[in-house]
Amino acid sequence: MAENIKFLVYRNSGNGDIRYERYEVPIFKGMSVLEALFYIQDHFDSTLAFRYACRGAICGSCGMTIDKVPMLACRMQVSTVKTTKKPVNMPEFNFGEHSDWDKENEILIEPLPNMKILKDLVVDMDPFWKFYREIEPYFVRNWNNVAPESKQSPFQMKAIERLVYCILCGLCWACPVSSKNPSYLGPAQLAKADRFINDSRITKEKQQKVISRVIKEDGVPACERFFICNRVCPKGVMPGTAIKDLRDKWIKNE
Amino acid sequence: MRIEEFDVIIIGAGLSGLRAGLELSSKWNAAIISKVYPVRSHSGAAQGGINAALGNLEVSKEDTPKGHAFDTVKGSDYLADQNVVMFMCEEAPKIVIEFESMGAPFSRLESGLIAQRPFGGAGFPRTCYAGDRTGHALLHTLYEQSVRNGVKFFDEYFLIDLIVVENKVTGALCLNIASGELVIIRASYVILATGGFGRIFKRSTNALINTGDGNGAAFRAGVPMQDCEFVQFHPTTLYGTNILITEGARGEGGLLYNKKSERFMSKTAPEAMELAPRDIVARAIDIEVIEGRGFENSYVHLDLTHLGSEKIKERLPGIREISIFFAGVDPIDEPIPVQPGQHYSMGGIATKYKGDVGETDLPSLWVAGECSCLSVHGANRLGGNSLLETSVFGRAIGRKLLEKGLPQKPSLIIRENVENELLQKIENLFNKWENNKGKRPVEISDIMGETMNKNVGVFRKQDLLEKAYEDLKKIQKEFLNVHVATTDRKFNYGLIRTLELRNMLDIAEVTAYAALLRKESRGAHYRWDYPKRDDENFLWHSLVYRTKDGLELKKKPVILGIFEVKERVY
Ligand SMILES: Cc1cc2nc3c(=O)[nH]c(=O)nc-3n(C[C@H](O)[C@H](O)[C@H](O)COP(=O)(O)OP(=O)(O)OC[C@H]3O[C@@H](n4cnc5c(N)ncnc54)[C@H](O)[C@@H]3O)c2cc1C
Ligand code: SF4
Ligand code: FES
Repeated sequence: MAENIKFLVYRNSGNGDIRYERYEVPIFKGMSVLEALFYIQDHFDSTLAFRYACRGAICGSCGMTIDKVPMLACRMQVSTVKTTKKPVNMPEFNFGEHSDWDKENEILIEPLPNMKILKDLVVDMDPFWKFYREIEPYFVRNWNNVAPESKQSPFQMKAIERLVYCILCGLCWACPVSSKNPSYLGPAQLAKADRFINDSRITKEKQQKVISRVIKEDGVPACERFFICNRVCPKGVMPGTAIKDLRDKWIKNE
Repeated sequence: MRIEEFDVIIIGAGLSGLRAGLELSSKWNAAIISKVYPVRSHSGAAQGGINAALGNLEVSKEDTPKGHAFDTVKGSDYLADQNVVMFMCEEAPKIVIEFESMGAPFSRLESGLIAQRPFGGAGFPRTCYAGDRTGHALLHTLYEQSVRNGVKFFDEYFLIDLIVVENKVTGALCLNIASGELVIIRASYVILATGGFGRIFKRSTNALINTGDGNGAAFRAGVPMQDCEFVQFHPTTLYGTNILITEGARGEGGLLYNKKSERFMSKTAPEAMELAPRDIVARAIDIEVIEGRGFENSYVHLDLTHLGSEKIKERLPGIREISIFFAGVDPIDEPIPVQPGQHYSMGGIATKYKGDVGETDLPSLWVAGECSCLSVHGANRLGGNSLLETSVFGRAIGRKLLEKGLPQKPSLIIRENVENELLQKIENLFNKWENNKGKRPVEISDIMGETMNKNVGVFRKQDLLEKAYEDLKKIQKEFLNVHVATTDRKFNYGLIRTLELRNMLDIAEVTAYAALLRKESRGAHYRWDYPKRDDENFLWHSLVYRTKDGLELKKKPVILGIFEVKERVY
């Protein structure tokens, strides 16, 4: 059973020296790309850096670019990397020179695009969190302890259900707009804004506050409708569709 | 070297840490330290829900906190401290309503009230939920409120050890994961909220980061571990990654088969079959595998195919997604390979007998959440009670500390001496690890995981436990010579994982030792050789200490007095 699979892994010590290293990993049935990376860390180079936590596609830590597509490493089986259908019209991501990549047989591992690389596969998420905070993603009611709770019908809840599922993994920052415009708020952030605006429990003032932020040039107007975000999102949040909702329903008349 | 100073620091940004931090930040200079970004914490993985006797359903109108407390105590096999359970259950409706007011996206009833579902061991449907991602919803909500309130965070800082001066905690030594630099963070109070430690087992539903770091740090500082022999195993975890396959799959009609196509549950539970309690199903599956009727000697089949594609897609979309992405199996066409796995740690850092809830015997050190043993779960936790525990006690401990006020600190000179000594000790340790010629960490962690699974698992027995304890002591010794690269410390996860292993080895050893000495079966602790509960000799909490001669057990009384101790039958 012990078949070996080759990985070509982007390495970057953080001081500008970029290289691609080859590792051969014995795989087992059901092995994820994340587990393969652990194998490399455990057996070949303990300093190979990548983030992880849940290994179950719920925490959003392990985003990286696998065979040129941003994915969660824990949710991708090694055995299906080559056979899984790739999202269409993906932009080109360029991290460094690797012309010797054997496309058919080697799995290429690179960090997430459009973020500063700190070490190997670890990227700087600070801008991601900064823009997250900028849309003020929170309720501003006073906390209440006493029954009954404020009501919301199942139908009203449905309006935000898909949006609350975002795990803030940053895959959607593969957006071509994020690549050329470092001040673009980003798909996840706009989807988060949409989550709060559409919550039936939110006040008009709070709604206005969020709208006033996303209406700025680096917010909704910056989106060029590539819909890459919808295609790479592992949780079906559909940020592109959320941005459309913001534009058509909430901003049109402003 | 950097030094930071706060009134209070909270280690851990799961539900318990965040809730404590929100409370304390309102009045004090507080900071939350976490080895991962807060929303990556394991609390986010909880699926089922959070218990509270809200009585939102017609059928649950009669539900009360006392009923909830009774179910909890009974579920605990009468080992829980009853006053603490009572407090938790009385706070439960308040904390859930508070979550809602913070914006948590709960699932709703037609009436617009928070939806509640039935859960094992509960007299009424009282588990409030947000789809099958309750933990995610609550964790994000608390993080959002933390952002709103400007709570101070140290993201990607790793707690190595506590700083203890004149028998009082005065801060923590942490590693800044990004820069690799060691940082002293001083505080008048330290709250440990570092979560569970399921990773001492090879097969666990827990996140990879659940490694008991707070437990290890507290244990090295002389604080005992309580009730660590009680480990909950979930019967159905996905073969391979051991991701949780919720009971819902069996609830909807999923059937368990061995390799001879037998529905083996008919042997152990002819009435309840697949829907028998968790521990019974887990044991039944393990027996099949032990006796050679499992697939590849490791798992059985959970078959949903007869439910049909429509029902699976509609009722169990999460299970289907997990099976496809993590096992390459579509349950519409094929059975899911499942096996039991560690799921929840009832034990943890011991709290002071008759002290304030969350207070430890080490002054200025407080504990909350799964790393602690408060003890509300006793020998067995009910589903939906641990999310509840985290937030109720996170809040309560925060309030209690504010009420107590800030304690006196030892003099600065003495503190600085201790800090420098500790820094030097850790620098030396890192240098030693770099220069060591012994095993790689993975070789040791593999043995630990295997040992725990095989000999301290679902079934336990004197000789197996003795062997486990000896084996663990042996790898503790080998760990002294472990080799790992520590020179380049920037994002050095190899080093981080070695520090985690240092903690796990201690807790694994404690778990095996406590299981060895508890010669009865109670709750999740099942012994072949002592299959009955024995209140006369074992109705106490275990406290395990490290002495210079090895581990030592002491007994701590269980707080009873509200509910009479009875046999646990369902
Ligand atoms: C798959 C699964 C499903 C579950 N479902 C349910 C459910 O439906 N209902 C229920 O009630 N319970 C459930 N539980 C249990 C429940 O999720 C946990 O008990 C609870 O979330 C623990 O919360 P916590 O705040 O104690 O710790 P966690 O949420 O685990 O947080 C621990 C924090 O500590 C930090 N930390 C750890 N070590 C260090 C260190 N060395 N330095 C710095 N920071 C550190 C981490 O970064 C993290 O922020 C489930 C558990 C699992 C495994
Ligand atoms: S919208 Fe999707 S891709 Fe973007 S951060 Fe959220 S979960 Fe990730
Ligand atoms: S490790 Fe959590 S999403 Fe992959």
